[in-house]
Amino acid sequence: MKDDNHPHIVNYKEHFGTWIGLMILTVMTVVVSVTNANLQMLTVLTALTIATTKAVLVAYYYMHLKFDQKIYRIMLWVVMGLFVSFMILTIIDYITR
Amino acid sequence: MATAISTEKNFFEIKKGIASWLFTLDHKRIGLMYFYAIISFFLVGVILGLLMRLELIAPGETIVKPTTYNQIFTLHGVIMIFLFIIPSIPAIFGNFFLPIMLGTDDVAFPRLNLLSWWLYVGGAVFALLTLVVGDGPADTGWTFYAPYSVQTGTNVTLSVLAAFILGFSSILTGLNFIVTIHRLRAPGMTFNKMPLFAWSLYATSWIQLLATPIIGITLLMIVAERVFGIGLFDPSIGGDPILYQHLFWIYSHPAVYIMALPAMGIISELIPSFAKRTIFGYKAIAYSSMAIAFVGYFVWGHHMFTSGMSGTARVIFSILTFIVAIPTAVKVFNWVATLYKGSIDVQTPLLYALAFIFQFLIGGLSGLVLAALAADIHVHDTYFVVGHFHYVMFGGTGFAMFGALHYWFPKIWGRMYNKRTANIGFALLTVGFNFLYFPMMILGLMGMPRRYYDYLPRFTDLNVISTVGSWILAIGLIIMLWNLIRAKKTGEKVGRNPWGSISMEWQTKSPPPLENFDKLPELNEGGPYHYKH
Ligand code: HEM
Ligand SMILES: [Cu+2]
Repeated sequence: MKDDNHPHIVNYKEHFGTWIGLMILTVMTVVVSVTNANLQMLTVLTALTIATTKAVLVAYYYMHLKFDQKIYRIMLWVVMGLFVSFMILTIIDYITR
Repeated sequence: MATAISTEKNFFEIKKGIASWLFTLDHKRIGLMYFYAIISFFLVGVILGLLMRLELIAPGETIVKPTTYNQIFTLHGVIMIFLFIIPSIPAIFGNFFLPIMLGTDDVAFPRLNLLSWWLYVGGAVFALLTLVVGDGPADTGWTFYAPYSVQTGTNVTLSVLAAFILGFSSILTGLNFIVTIHRLRAPGMTFNKMPLFAWSLYATSWIQLLATPIIGITLLMIVAERVFGIGLFDPSIGGDPILYQHLFWIYSHPAVYIMALPAMGIISELIPSFAKRTIFGYKAIAYSSMAIAFVGYFVWGHHMFTSGMSGTARVIFSILTFIVAIPTAVKVFNWVATLYKGSIDVQTPLLYALAFIFQFLIGGLSGLVLAALAADIHVHDTYFVVGHFHYVMFGGTGFAMFGALHYWFPKIWGRMYNKRTANIGFALLTVGFNFLYFPMMILGLMGMPRRYYDYLPRFTDLNVISTVGSWILAIGLIIMLWNLIRAKKTGEKVGRNPWGSISMEWQTKSPPPLENFDKLPELNEGGPYHYKH
């Protein structure tokens, strides 16, 4: 409750650091794709992991999830966990067929 | 809370006229509008069901052509699932009673609540449009399996859009209830002092919120494939039909718990109210709702054992499915234990609750037969399945809803129905129900497939019994509804608490005033089900 009325002011350094992080991850995605890194099955996994990390950074810092009440973070992770389990269970069918 | 509004007048009297209903923000009125809409569709679905049973009274063509039969069972399924059973208890009784049971004056977002109702109506209009335009209602079955749903000329696109819109209605209701439960509980009511009906709605709402978007996307993919020829599910244009089944059941299995959990919540209210005894294992019941909602997400593959899914995946889904049975059994155990040594007052709502336990048990246990991989290969897509899911949805949730209706009727309308007639209606419904569906289980084991307008002559006898059962059930239904309609006009007026229950909704007037309470509601000492002897 108390957080509602006193928004956390993120300092410039933190914002900039996040931005750098996002940039590095973007470069990684590009490198993986242009070098045609032979990761086979892992290609999708790598791309998704990088994309997820970026989304989490944005949510935590730019969208202030990190400074919000804990319940919101729990909700986010429950949904993410659920989504990942759907993917895993479905993919198990495909790779063992 | 504004104090200016009179508590002398009840929520019916405070404003009159059709517009005061269609644009109301009062959760009680919205609940009743859902009630009238949902019951109407239920009756349409029942008529379609009776028509199917009539067709099946003898082998060969009896009253309809094969294609018509296919359209009838699809429309029956779509109406019963999306327009009746999924909204039923949450949208009607959840809307009406959740805020009252939490001791507050409305849901968190009353306008969103009204929007949900309008979306429901919009979806319903789309479903009805399939009757009058193009080649008539879809003939795919309510599951819209690809590739047939991509190829058939009937109105699949419209039906699918109907389900899509109804999905939004469901999501918004879920969202509303979650926020209401988190934010608007009466002071002093912690989660562990909340009525079990509210707990069950909480678990349900999370499923509505998180699972429904998946069916939304999936149904849009069907439309994309039909309209733009994008190869998603149809193998002839590069798609994978099994992917459709995955996506469809990722929602539709959890949806089974959207139907079942609120019903279990109702039973958890009815039993202590009529056993006049503290509920056995409050926390076990409350948390098992959450457990069911959670585990229910990971079992969808049991609908796909014969689809061509990999062996490994089949074994995994079979095992996971068995796990869901545990929290369900916990509840049944707790209800029966609550009745044990209670001072049982046998009233119509309790009879419905007992029928629920009996029929839900048959539905649940036959579900285990289907969950067992080897057994399912035999009975998949036979009448065993049709018997099974009617026992769960109709014998379970349907009966719980009728029980809730008889329980809360005096609170909603302030009058009591004729209890004798209600019991006669109940008896006919129950007898008819079991005659209608039990033979189907046997027929399934004998090998009669579902979704055909015809069958081999050796299946005739049991089919005749089933059809006669459907008539008994119909008579029971008519008696039940007629009794309630009559009571609404001429029933004896009742006070606040005709059942002597300690639940919070019985503290206010019947019918309640606009803002629900005329005096500050009090939490029961020692928890919501603590009866003092
Ligand atoms: C008088 C009441 C009812 C009767 C006589 C009835 C009869 C039937 C019959 C005979 C079928 C099988 C059609 C076939 O496979 O050839 C069927 C299918 C079905 N019923 Fe009912 N039913 C009734 C009520 C309900 C209720 C209350 C629900 C849900 C709450 C329901 C949901 C379904 C669904 C989902 C299907 C599957 C449709 C499909 O195969 O796509 N029914 N019903
Ligand atoms: Cu299922």
